[in-house]
Amino acid sequence: MRILIVEDDREAASYIRKGLRESGHVADHASDGEEGLEMARAADYDVLVVDRMMPRMDGLAMVETLRGEEDRTPVLILSALGEVDDRVEGLKAGGDDYLVKPYAFAELLARVEALARRRDPETVRTKLVVGDLEMDLLARKVVRDGEEILLQPREFRLLEFLMKHSGQVVTRTMLLEKVWDYHFDPQTNVIDVHISRLRSKIDKPFPRALLHTVRGAGYRLQA
Amino acid sequence: MAQRRAAFLRTTAFRQTLLSAALFALSSFVILGFVYAASAGMVLRRADAVVGDEVEALDDRFQAGGIDAVRLYILQRTVGGSTDYLYLLIHPSGRTLGNLTFLPTVQPDEDGRVQFTYRRPPAGGPDEDSEKEDRIVRGQIVELPSGYRLFIGLDVDDETRLISRMLNTILAASALALALGVAAGIFVSRRFVRRLDKINNVARRVRAGDLQPRAPRNYTGDELDELSENFNNMLDRVEALMHRMRHTGDSIAHDLRTPLTRMRNRLDEALREDGDLDTREQALERAIADTDELLGIFNAILSLSRLEAGESRASIVRLDPADIAADLAELYEPVCEDDGLFFNSEIQPGLAMLGDRGLLSQALANILDNAVKYTPEGGAVTLRLRETGEGMIEFSVTDTGPGIPDVDRDRVVQRFVRLDNSRSQPGSGLGLSLVQAIADVHNGKFELSEGPGVVDGGHGPGLRASLCFPKAPPEKG
Repeated sequence: MRILIVEDDREAASYIRKGLRESGHVADHASDGEEGLEMARAADYDVLVVDRMMPRMDGLAMVETLRGEEDRTPVLILSALGEVDDRVEGLKAGGDDYLVKPYAFAELLARVEALARRRDPETVRTKLVVGDLEMDLLARKVVRDGEEILLQPREFRLLEFLMKHSGQVVTRTMLLEKVWDYHFDPQTNVIDVHISRLRSKIDKPFPRALLHTVRGAGYRLQA
Repeated sequence: MAQRRAAFLRTTAFRQTLLSAALFALSSFVILGFVYAASAGMVLRRADAVVGDEVEALDDRFQAGGIDAVRLYILQRTVGGSTDYLYLLIHPSGRTLGNLTFLPTVQPDEDGRVQFTYRRPPAGGPDEDSEKEDRIVRGQIVELPSGYRLFIGLDVDDETRLISRMLNTILAASALALALGVAAGIFVSRRFVRRLDKINNVARRVRAGDLQPRAPRNYTGDELDELSENFNNMLDRVEALMHRMRHTGDSIAHDLRTPLTRMRNRLDEALREDGDLDTREQALERAIADTDELLGIFNAILSLSRLEAGESRASIVRLDPADIAADLAELYEPVCEDDGLFFNSEIQPGLAMLGDRGLLSQALANILDNAVKYTPEGGAVTLRLRETGEGMIEFSVTDTGPGIPDVDRDRVVQRFVRLDNSRSQPGSGLGLSLVQAIADVHNGKFELSEGPGVVDGGHGPGLRASLCFPKAPPEKG
């Protein structure tokens, strides 16, 4: 993937860049909004990682300008402001996801990869398949190896998210945000408990595990 | 000292009293002056009337008996010696008759009256040694036909003296009033200044860094006492805030030092050459977990500060609290079951309140986190949403854990306050502070009370955490 990092803090930028490169991506860096705008116009990036507060042109203005030019490249906004209103503002400006500083690199990587996936042509998928696990989004039915698995509504949404991002690392925070719509981190391991419930339904009766724990990062559903 | 005195003369109190003393002196001067003018006028008018009568009497004589009758009358009137009336008849040739020796040239006033000083022989008679005295006479000059001039006057010396003595008294009284006013001003402002000085001293000492002193009070409820009271209340508040800030600072340092030290040790261990790869990896992973914990604490501090500063423009909308409660019940039920706790939820549907879903969920999650953390295996956690008898919307979480002693219940919602038995548990000591702040943002109330636990059962009294919010006003339309 080709990723553009627009961030005025050089150290933070080089940290993200190094991490993305190590994960096998190509990462460029622009140090303010104007430079970022030029670079985004000049080349075709898969994802833009944009810091919100920058000199010259701030991140929101840059994203708004790009959106005004019909540029639909997915944007992850980085910000030190984490309140609900700030988040809403960021998403309104055209950001696709919002990550509050300070963050763990694994979190950033997981989100960037999730965003790139979203860029795939928006075909209306009615069926998700990971290995022998199948999900029918219309009939709300889950079948593994020909056997129907009964899930609670929330378990269904959890599995749906994991399947849509199969092969990718999904963090606990991402799950809380996307499946539960909570933007805070409970102290107890609520997500782990829900994952283990799901795991006992979709993995336990079967010889091969699909839902893997990625240490220090989160989970990955992979055939 | 001289400087003190000068400063004291500049005080508002002194100026005020001085001004009112001056006003008082002036007004008493005006009033007494009016009395003076009235009495002086009365004395003169009486003299004029008496002289007028005498002139009429003499005129009658003159009409009846000519100039000789006048002479006779004057002789009769003056022969006795002592009389207040003074007469002088002047013949065209200059000869005179009467008890006045001569008529000074005085311009009569607009009423035709003259007033002058004459020398009256001593009371004992012309032979006596006693000094003659100057006295004031007031009268009228009448021109008679055939060239005679007649002066008829009345000795008004005693009255005039009385009046002038009265004038002196008035002036003295006014001066005295002024002096008394100034003295009172000095006295009053001294007291005032002394009390103000005490308050100023307190302010100076506080500025210098000592938060202990308080302004003296006399509990009369006067302005200065009220000032002292407000001043002291302000100092109490400042002291509490300073204390809290210091406590928060210390707590941050303390709470961060533990994970930081742990992290440092782990990294140090990972660096050691004899460690194998697995141990290193483990150490690094733990260090990352420690960092996450630290970041969590920082995030909590930031959210809390924003909430408390009222900067967070929470997106408050009309919502059904049952949705929030149901989502959290669903999130926490498996957690409780995994921990060997019975979880129950009783949710009353169809209520409406104004709130921010994210914040309310976070508050409930913090409370549920605590319930799960502290309730021992075999206990029960209940999440309840209902409308109270007072028409409030109440979220409550009850557990059968150790509870919180009465004396600590107010304290635990303060920042970083962690009870001794919780120090071993993970946590920042910010969870309940955040709940309190979220309740405040929603005009709600956060209360802790005893739970449904059975003390003898070995668990403890339990805890009941209640969040009360006002109901949303009925929707229009």
